Amino acid sequence: MASASVATVTPQGHRATRSPRVRDERLARVLAGKDFLLLDGAMGTQLQERGLAAGEIPELLCLTNPEEITAIHAAYVAAGSDVVTTNTFGANRGKLGGTAGVEEVFAAATACARAAGARYVAADIGPTGALLQPMGTLSFDEAYELFAEQVRAADAAGADLLVIETMADLAEAKAALLAAKENSDLPAFVTMTFDEDGRTFLGTTPEVAAVTLDALGADVVGINCSLGPSDVTPLVERMLPWVGCPVMVQANAGLPHVEDGRTLYSIGPDEYCEAVARMLDAGVTVIGGCCGTSPAFIAGERALLEGRRVARRRPRDDFAVTSAQQLTAIPTGYVGVIGERINPTGKRLLREALRSGNHDYVMGEAISQTSAGAQILDVNAGLPEIDERATLVRLVSELQGVTTLPLQIDSSDPLAVEAAVRLYPGKPVINSTNGTQEALDAVLPIARHYGCAVVGLTLDEGGIPTTAEGRLSVARRIVAACDELGIPRRDVIIDCLAMAASTDQRAPRAILDGISLVKRELPGVRCVLGVSNISFGLPFRPLVNATFLAAALSAGLDLAIVNPMSDRLMDVINSWRVLSGEDMGARAYLSSYAGRSDSPASASPTANATSDLGEQAPADTTPEGQVRDLVLAGRKDPVPDAVRVILADAEAGHDALYVINEVLVPALDEVGARFERGTFFLPQLMASAEAAKAGFSVLREGAGSSGVPSKGTVALATVRGDIHDIGKNIVRMLLENYGYEVIDLGRDVDPQTFASCVVEHHIELAGLSALMTTTVPAMAETIELLHEQAPWCKVIVGGAVLNPEYAQMVGADFYAKDASESARIAGEVLG
Amino acid sequence: MTARLRVARETYDIRDIDRAEVLRYLGYHGQELTGELDARIDALVGRCLACARPRAAIAAFPVRETRPDAVVLDGCALSLTGHDIATHLADATEVVLLAATLGADVDRELRRLSLTDALGQVILDSAATALAERAADAAEAHARAYAADQGSFASRRFSPGYGDLPLSVQPAFLATLDATRQLGITLTPSHLMVPTKSVTAIVGIHPTPQPGLESSCTTCPLSDFCSIRRTGRTCRG
Repeated sequence: MASASVATVTPQGHRATRSPRVRDERLARVLAGKDFLLLDGAMGTQLQERGLAAGEIPELLCLTNPEEITAIHAAYVAAGSDVVTTNTFGANRGKLGGTAGVEEVFAAATACARAAGARYVAADIGPTGALLQPMGTLSFDEAYELFAEQVRAADAAGADLLVIETMADLAEAKAALLAAKENSDLPAFVTMTFDEDGRTFLGTTPEVAAVTLDALGADVVGINCSLGPSDVTPLVERMLPWVGCPVMVQANAGLPHVEDGRTLYSIGPDEYCEAVARMLDAGVTVIGGCCGTSPAFIAGERALLEGRRVARRRPRDDFAVTSAQQLTAIPTGYVGVIGERINPTGKRLLREALRSGNHDYVMGEAISQTSAGAQILDVNAGLPEIDERATLVRLVSELQGVTTLPLQIDSSDPLAVEAAVRLYPGKPVINSTNGTQEALDAVLPIARHYGCAVVGLTLDEGGIPTTAEGRLSVARRIVAACDELGIPRRDVIIDCLAMAASTDQRAPRAILDGISLVKRELPGVRCVLGVSNISFGLPFRPLVNATFLAAALSAGLDLAIVNPMSDRLMDVINSWRVLSGEDMGARAYLSSYAGRSDSPASASPTANATSDLGEQAPADTTPEGQVRDLVLAGRKDPVPDAVRVILADAEAGHDALYVINEVLVPALDEVGARFERGTFFLPQLMASAEAAKAGFSVLREGAGSSGVPSKGTVALATVRGDIHDIGKNIVRMLLENYGYEVIDLGRDVDPQTFASCVVEHHIELAGLSALMTTTVPAMAETIELLHEQAPWCKVIVGGAVLNPEYAQMVGADFYAKDASESARIAGEVLG
Repeated sequence: MTARLRVARETYDIRDIDRAEVLRYLGYHGQELTGELDARIDALVGRCLACARPRAAIAAFPVRETRPDAVVLDGCALSLTGHDIATHLADATEVVLLAATLGADVDRELRRLSLTDALGQVILDSAATALAERAADAAEAHARAYAADQGSFASRRFSPGYGDLPLSVQPAFLATLDATRQLGITLTPSHLMVPTKSVTAIVGIHPTPQPGLESSCTTCPLSDFCSIRRTGRTCRG
């Protein structure tokens, strides 16, 4: 048995290639896709037929009624099942809740299955029943630990394989599969459950599940539960082209209904098997049944397999990466766009955002790149003065909230890369490794273990080769190392490294030839390029970048790392797609470029904004009065221009501080007063805050490196166990617009995490929110820690269940009945 | 006696959300609305309807025993504890359990807005709360029709967390309806449901008409889901 010590994994701890411990030759043929395998049908509905009440813990029957469980298994064996699946679907520590030990249940369940005389025993592992962060509160590591315990118990009990099933959350499926791979070498089958709309409850498509789980090293991938088999057929047909390993289906017998007090399912064995036959023809090789199926269904499937030959499959060879909700596939000959904007190098506002921990700006960059046509987003958090690993992990999680694009994890620190890709629910790109032995040894095992695509830079101990041949030779070394580890060629992306033409005019040719050579000499490998370095030192850089990009595409570039907000670059990409034949019939081109010309646009946006401002001329016509009226009206769009007008008045010489103290804050005070009187309701208060925020953004853009003066920092969180964050978000918005810096730790925040943050930043005011009576104790605990560790810090509390008395009881300094009051208290404490 | 109602998963086609209800959740009481705010509320109500997939699971179970502080059911492992639910279900012969949800896409959209647009999050949250109640209305109407079919009377729905019926009944409640598999509803350790726009509730099936119901079909919030009126009767008898 493999070592079982991998809660915190280091790259060195990975097995480079994993060949599962396979019980016999027959199972080996199945895993190689050369033979069929027949699993069993439902356990749950069979138990209900035998009078087990709904809602009990059915796994305990392995301990209390082993004969009954064995009898159900034996009926499936008699019907022709090669494999019986243990009655352990919910046997994790969380769901058993102390009624029995995980090991104990798996031992008893495996014994029940063995006693039935099946050829193979599969240990069944279902979902945890809790949702993972960020939508739920279960951490990836906690989920991993629950699964790891089950995997170890299954292995110890002598199971022949693991079936991880009924997964709706790709992150949870990944946690389970990693737990399987890192704690056992038994073959791991993974199936997910899909809804009528062809997605899981959490939005994963069959293609995304297929690409991700196959890359992660599942031995068999497929679909279970979900729907009846004829509804599952089109879903599995979508999955098949994206999987190299065998594909499995265990569908339901339709939907249940009640007749005379008995639960019946809508589909019988004959109809069921007809649909299964179509799936076998499409290339499925592992079958069985789920809810509502019985031995009669299995007997029918056994008959289907008699004399049948495995259908031929043709898996696709596209470059493919995924997020939990989206597949980005670049077929050979197509070009993909990787957005480069989330990288602090040379970007002041991004550096400030990463340093302060206020990631609004980063989220904005992600959203604009997504709508500008990026297909993958590069994410780099490499700043010397911050904790890169923690920041990268947080960014990767937050970015999934605002974009469904797959991410490219960009870091030179292998530990940061591993932390990010381990948690990432999908198949990301790693940027990057290079030709040095150190980088190959550090990064490639991570790419292999977590099933990532990986960028290899053509540089090594000797630096960046100046010639095309030199680049090819480094690429050869990288590709050889990938081949050896079993990383598929389509997941290897060589970057021939663009160098400034202004320092070496031979460089562009060497790069372009390098791309052609790599594509020719290393078939299957893809090429990527960060284009913009080429123009360094030249005026009007976008033009040079565009010309070089066109040349690189012609040389065979597959993926371009560019700023997708640059029209000039996207014009090159979009027109190239017509010339290369990717944009069939030039349909996409026609829809966005018909009617475009090079003549300058007639009206400038500033003119529009001014006229818009003029139309609804506010009563007070001084620029200050206009800003005030716009804030009161909650109209954010005209605010930036109006603020610029104030700053532009050279005679008055007003600075940012003037705008804050004399214009924005007094307007917000008036808003607060109206809210207090009830003449404004909450959305109006917030719309005004938004308008003020638009003004602050202008000041921030214009400020030098010192930034806009801050009035102090406030830390906010919703306490542990509570997932309601709306109230906290409103408070944050208001405080920010009064000029305070806010560190928002989010929701379901551990007391010690919060206290440590307050200590680290020496924060003088903390705000805690709780909406549930059940989570008020966590609030009290957090405040107690603050009193011990940060006695200087004052605490405001708020939330639906709190009142002044309750606030005093939990040890808070202030109770705020609403967001407006929080801002007033901040003024009192911080000035 | 055996109960005869089990709906593993029903999807509701709900095409509008009551604006007044959304405004009420937003704390509105007659303030003057700007056109911009109005348009924003409309847009987010539309967004809510586009993201939501209102669904429910419904099943009936006979009452085995009613004690002063608990109701014990037959055919499932669920006990409803507390004086309030025992009072609510005083003479009930059966109870209908229902779980309704809008699905995970609404939560994902709320999260997206929490990172980009705090006001949008507040408005969408109110719209979604209103819509989740509509989904629960639809499921309750189903229970009411089931009662009427057998000449009985339904009580208004009562949710875990009301009165002294603790949230700790949620794990067994959701397991009984197989709600994680059928609807994707999961629980946090503090028994909060995720997706957050989910409702669980209990409807009693009683031999006599129940207090607390609307006195007229025109004011009844369930009227557009009602299948009883078509038969010429009402749920009040």
